[in-house]
Amino acid sequence: MNNGAAPLVEVRGITKRYPGVLALDDVSLSVRAGEIVALTGENGSGKSTLSKIIGGAEQPDDGVLLIDGEPTVVANPATALRLGIVMISQELTLAPHLTVAENVFMGRLPRRGGLVDWPAVRSRARTELAALGVHVDPRVKVGDLSVELQQEVEIARAVSSKARLLILDEATSSLSETATERLLELVREQGRRGVAVLMISHRMPELYATATTAAVLRDGRMVGVVPLPETPEPRLVHMMVGRELNDYYGGRQVTPGPVVLDVRDLASDDGALAPTSFQVRGGEIVGVAGLVGSGKAHLGMALGGAIPATGEVRVNGTRVVLGDPRRALTAGIGLVPDDRKRAALLPTRSVAHNMTLSWLRTLSRFGVVPGRTERRRVREAIAEYGVKTSSPNKLITQLSGGNQQKAVLGRIFALGCPVYVLSEPTRGVDVGSKSQIYGLLQKLTAGGAAVVIISSELPELIGLADRVLVCFRGAVRGECSGEQLTEQVLNAIAVSGHIHTDDSGEAA
Amino acid sequence: MSQDTTTRPEAPISGPVPGGDSTNALSRLAALWRLSGSSTGVLAGLLLLGAYLGATQPIFLTWGNITNVVASNSVVLVLAVGATFVIISGGLDLSTASAAAVTGMAYGLLLQHGQNALVAVAGALLVGLLLGVLNGVLIAYVKVSFLVVTLGTLSVFESAALVMSQGKTLNVFSRPGFAPIYRITNGDVGGIPYLMIFDVVLVVAAALVLRYTTFGRGVYALGSNREAARLNGINVARTTLSVFVIAGLAAAVASLIQVGRLTGASPGVDSTLLLTVVAAVLIGGTAYTGGDGGVGGTVLGVLFLGVIQNGLTLSDVSTFWRGTVNGTVLIVAVTLGVARHRGWLTINRGKKAQSRA
Repeated sequence: MNNGAAPLVEVRGITKRYPGVLALDDVSLSVRAGEIVALTGENGSGKSTLSKIIGGAEQPDDGVLLIDGEPTVVANPATALRLGIVMISQELTLAPHLTVAENVFMGRLPRRGGLVDWPAVRSRARTELAALGVHVDPRVKVGDLSVELQQEVEIARAVSSKARLLILDEATSSLSETATERLLELVREQGRRGVAVLMISHRMPELYATATTAAVLRDGRMVGVVPLPETPEPRLVHMMVGRELNDYYGGRQVTPGPVVLDVRDLASDDGALAPTSFQVRGGEIVGVAGLVGSGKAHLGMALGGAIPATGEVRVNGTRVVLGDPRRALTAGIGLVPDDRKRAALLPTRSVAHNMTLSWLRTLSRFGVVPGRTERRRVREAIAEYGVKTSSPNKLITQLSGGNQQKAVLGRIFALGCPVYVLSEPTRGVDVGSKSQIYGLLQKLTAGGAAVVIISSELPELIGLADRVLVCFRGAVRGECSGEQLTEQVLNAIAVSGHIHTDDSGEAA
Repeated sequence: MSQDTTTRPEAPISGPVPGGDSTNALSRLAALWRLSGSSTGVLAGLLLLGAYLGATQPIFLTWGNITNVVASNSVVLVLAVGATFVIISGGLDLSTASAAAVTGMAYGLLLQHGQNALVAVAGALLVGLLLGVLNGVLIAYVKVSFLVVTLGTLSVFESAALVMSQGKTLNVFSRPGFAPIYRITNGDVGGIPYLMIFDVVLVVAAALVLRYTTFGRGVYALGSNREAARLNGINVARTTLSVFVIAGLAAAVASLIQVGRLTGASPGVDSTLLLTVVAAVLIGGTAYTGGDGGVGGTVLGVLFLGVIQNGLTLSDVSTFWRGTVNGTVLIVAVTLGVARHRGWLTINRGKKAQSRA
């Protein structure tokens, strides 16, 4: 499908300025029908800006956008939709109270005589979903579906609206490995049918498994367009960050100390986590793997006191009262929840106030926050944890995802807890920031902290953890370390609950 | 005067400083506008309004008129300061005006039963505290929606005030225990009304509490993201209870001022009072969704509505227009706030640009 007709979408010399910064500098890129182009680069490199311009949400200061070779002004997202440009982001845009069928045809419900033709809505939704291999009842309310299924419904809607260009903006970042694989298969299928795809993702394996081309942005410039999967990964990463990322996960020479965290029969009251026991020594990093719904997220929340739970948790021998985050914090368990937006950020507050949130109890004297000490400690933490912000007084939501996450991690790390429970600590974070976060984790354990990392990214767990616990259907079903610590083994336990399932070769 | 750190631009710590040499002044002005609090617009509006009235109504800028505006808006101000805490925390207290009627009646009844000033004032404050506790416990511990609870107590308090005196206004002017409150609400020192001094002290104290105490930070955190606040060790239930207790105490103080100025305790609730209070807080830039705003903005909101009212009176416009004007101002102010928040009004749209890693 090369050459021949004009590319479906082409941008030429796109420049976008924001005050003080050039977000996009003379960027050119083309996407042909049937081509799957991965748009990569660190957070803040301009990927989102470029996709917003193509999607009509932003206007370029300079340069042209060509659709089918014709210069076109995509004035707003509605225009983009009419041109067949459909954007899917990690945030779902479905209406949870409406049915699957209603969502699929939202804004274009089939009508007859001025009234909605409900039988047609349902039957057409059923055929559309079946064609994509999405097995849901179109009459079910979207809010009752799992996040994975919701994401598939979202794709179904995009596809059934006769999308010609599909833009996926980190659409897989909140999905489990299996759901991601399903979604990527859908995307590849669209590619085979001649739909052009522009995907933004931080996950290397999925880029290599899906995309035909990688376009790399760095600091607003197009560094290069290379074919996939021929280009080796280190070279691609080098293009993205502009330097070698040796020692991505960071090495460490820590001899595990005495047991710091002792968990016995910990179970959540809602039944999502069955009684679980394990120990973590000082200086040790223990990973927790598992599919979405396997109970791994609940394990983290139960440890941090975020949800009611039973069992026995001891930190340095002292028993922790469960089900109360204040008590857990006092006992020395620092929790970083998986959903930054829902459970960690104060979106209306400054970077400084977000960081101070965790310190209020230790920082204040007689209920008063000492202003000077606070400002000093915020400055120190911003420097130490590498949070890039022009001022501590800036709104936290104006930082990139990676820097928000570093602020959230930094405020907890600064507490010096003996135990840290980190749920998806690098979700939606670019490679550069990830590497920094791994470095911070290594530093923590060097200081003798016991660290539990819950993650959906197996390479991350394998690279960081001394051993990995695998959750399956609400309980820890396996533990891997040393030779056994491979994606195949972890995946096998995660999908079946035990190791010897021949070849459930799900690994990417 | 009471805004959080976002109102004060400080030297950048790391990263590029926006703007080069040539555009320095302009970009600094833009940065100032970006960093300025959400109440800047109200302040500008207030100054414009003041200038207009000062030019057209010679009496407007006289000291007598200014003290009159302050005195006649003190009840609204005190209630609005209390409401600011509740609204920042992500709640709303619909019962505040009714609670003030109950505490006013309690004060009046205590005076009529011959109690001295101290007992009567303490009694009114205690009743206010209890009403706040009632709201707070139901909301924070029984976990009923604040809308349901305060809508219910709005009605309960309103009727309780009527029951307390069988609907009669209690005249307290001749009671000996009334003298101190009368003096405070009507007297002055060197031409400055005591009430004005009290207002300033109250506002400064509230601003300091919000800005510099763990409690105040907790109130913001609660309104910004309840779950994040909880996970980071903020005592959500106690903080929620506290803001409603503050609102109850504010109602008691407001009622003392009201009785002091009217020399009688009326069981009737001014139907526009609650709306004026909430409007003032929102006009002052406090987000109705919580987590943002401050007492400084509330002062501007109260003054803005007060000055408009004063201007209408001075210009001989029928008071029937008051509601129309207040409502319009509320919608316009909040709309401008929303527009600003979405970046429609900003000179520089630096959102994405500033976030580069």
